[in-house]
Amino acid sequence: MEIRVNAKGLQCPGPLLQLSNAVKSAQAGDRVLIEVSDFGFKKDIDKWCKKTGNTLISLDEKDSILSAVVEVVRKA
Amino acid sequence: MMRILVIGGVAAGTKAAAKLRRELPSSVITVVTSDRHVSYAGCGLPYFIGGIIKEERELVVKAPRLFKEENGIEILTLHQAVRIEPEAKKVEVIDLEKQVHKVFDYDLLVISTGASPFVPRMEGIDLDGIQVLRTIDDAREIRDRVDQNAARQALVVGGGFIGLEVAENLVHRGIPTTLVEFQPQILPGYDLEMALIAENHLVEKGLRLIKNRKVVAFEGDPLGKVQNAKLDGGEVLAADLAVWATGVRPNVELARSCGIVIGPTGAIQVDERMETNIPGIFAVGDCAENQHLLLDRPVWFPMGSTANKAGRIVGINASGGSKRMPGLLGTNIVKLFDLNAARTGLSTREALEAGFDIETVLVPANDKAHYYPGYRNVNTKLIADRKTHRVLGGQIIGEGVVDKPIDILVTAISFGATVEDLTTLDLAYAPPFSMAMSSLITAANVLENKLTGKVQGILPTELFERMEGGEDFQIVDLRSEPEFIIGTIEGALHIPLTELSSRIGELDPARETVLLCKYGKRSYLGARELTHAGFEKVEILEGGLLLYPYETV
Repeated sequence: MEIRVNAKGLQCPGPLLQLSNAVKSAQAGDRVLIEVSDFGFKKDIDKWCKKTGNTLISLDEKDSILSAVVEVVRKA
Repeated sequence: MMRILVIGGVAAGTKAAAKLRRELPSSVITVVTSDRHVSYAGCGLPYFIGGIIKEERELVVKAPRLFKEENGIEILTLHQAVRIEPEAKKVEVIDLEKQVHKVFDYDLLVISTGASPFVPRMEGIDLDGIQVLRTIDDAREIRDRVDQNAARQALVVGGGFIGLEVAENLVHRGIPTTLVEFQPQILPGYDLEMALIAENHLVEKGLRLIKNRKVVAFEGDPLGKVQNAKLDGGEVLAADLAVWATGVRPNVELARSCGIVIGPTGAIQVDERMETNIPGIFAVGDCAENQHLLLDRPVWFPMGSTANKAGRIVGINASGGSKRMPGLLGTNIVKLFDLNAARTGLSTREALEAGFDIETVLVPANDKAHYYPGYRNVNTKLIADRKTHRVLGGQIIGEGVVDKPIDILVTAISFGATVEDLTTLDLAYAPPFSMAMSSLITAANVLENKLTGKVQGILPTELFERMEGGEDFQIVDLRSEPEFIIGTIEGALHIPLTELSSRIGELDPARETVLLCKYGKRSYLGARELTHAGFEKVEILEGGLLLYPYETV
């Protein structure tokens, strides 16, 4: 399953909380696609995935929006 | 007919000559310079190495031939002035190409001899591949080595602007680059916690940074080409290109030897009209001093912006006008990869050395509305006089726009503004341009809160040093669970702000308490709560975890 989260317009800690909640409600193997306009999220998501053991599949930047895909390995 | 001679032809000299031509249309104006080029953008040289500026000619503002045709100014390149005779009003010049001496008579003399890179004598310093960067020829030399793949490992010595810009451009060209800085920080004139933000960014971008180390010798191969550098700690760094950028010194010998007074900074002393102690001889640009706007003393800030403004003022005054150069604030700005940094006025150290009792603040914010895509972080440090609340200085660093807020700050400081004045400025606002409360106004508001005792702060550098010194702190991380997971300061207790009132019993009100969150806003709210509850000393971590430059756990 793919879960899409629109976290545009949210500032710290909004995007990270939204991601965390989405991962909590997902099953292992699901993918969360989150869109964010806060560029501070770039470093946060990388560290968060490493610490929680989820996989950051991709992190792209287009038209000043960050799009990240996280594969759920375990609940956050 | 008035004869005007200008010695030196980069920024200040050519600007003064051009202005003199407009003020005195019938005069004879001659510019002599030992350089091959005139009127070029010295500040653009690092970007020529990086290939961002493709061709040499793009750096040249105006060719000598055009000065003659359009301005009627005679420019003599490769002509080195060797002696000034103030009584006879003559200057002796060597034509470096023809190796002949020439003598020029003048009625007015403008000295704009600039500055030269300072390179100490040491073993191996003359080896092939060790360069300075001051002239177009220097830049050409470095660029050619890079273009010909003759630079596989580069060393840059010095963490000032030129060193940093060269390092960025070498990394940009894909060359593994190490920068060695003798001081404990790069970016002289910036406070340590601001410089550390830049250092971390440079390292993230692939630059290897070595601080607190001096290059003491170079070693070469049998052909005389540099191979490695030795540091004072005994380390050896391999490098087939080394750029020495530990600063410049004003070129004052020509002036000194004819009796012109050199000031305490080592540059030529001038009055507010940019005239030296000898009437009719003006000095301008990187060879001359200026007054500091906030300190009652001369300073030497060799900057292209000053050279141009002062050049114009000399043009006016040398032609009989009277225009003052009131003083400088040491304003500067630099781009380092994705980061922008700017400063003006006094740094914390400069303010303390000048005897000010100061309060400072460090506040992260954004450059545009948070819902407008493309906004970026900018971090503002302000320094103010505790008694009068007068703003003394500021530094702004971040991926966002820094030039606008720093120029607002320059203007404010120039007109004697207080912190309160900053908080109510009617600045331009629409989402694509600014936050409704601009980053500068937000920083001024927090500083006002500090000045009125509403909140106390601690800088990351101070916290780190005092923890290293074994001091006891009660550190509380007020962020949410997912944020806490990604890293915090070692030993920090995790109590989300939403739980602070219910878990206040877990904290000791007698211990020095430091609150932290990502930016500082939640810490501020928490500090109000704990102070109200009778905690003895509560401080917020200024800049939050965002600007905490050390390792987290």
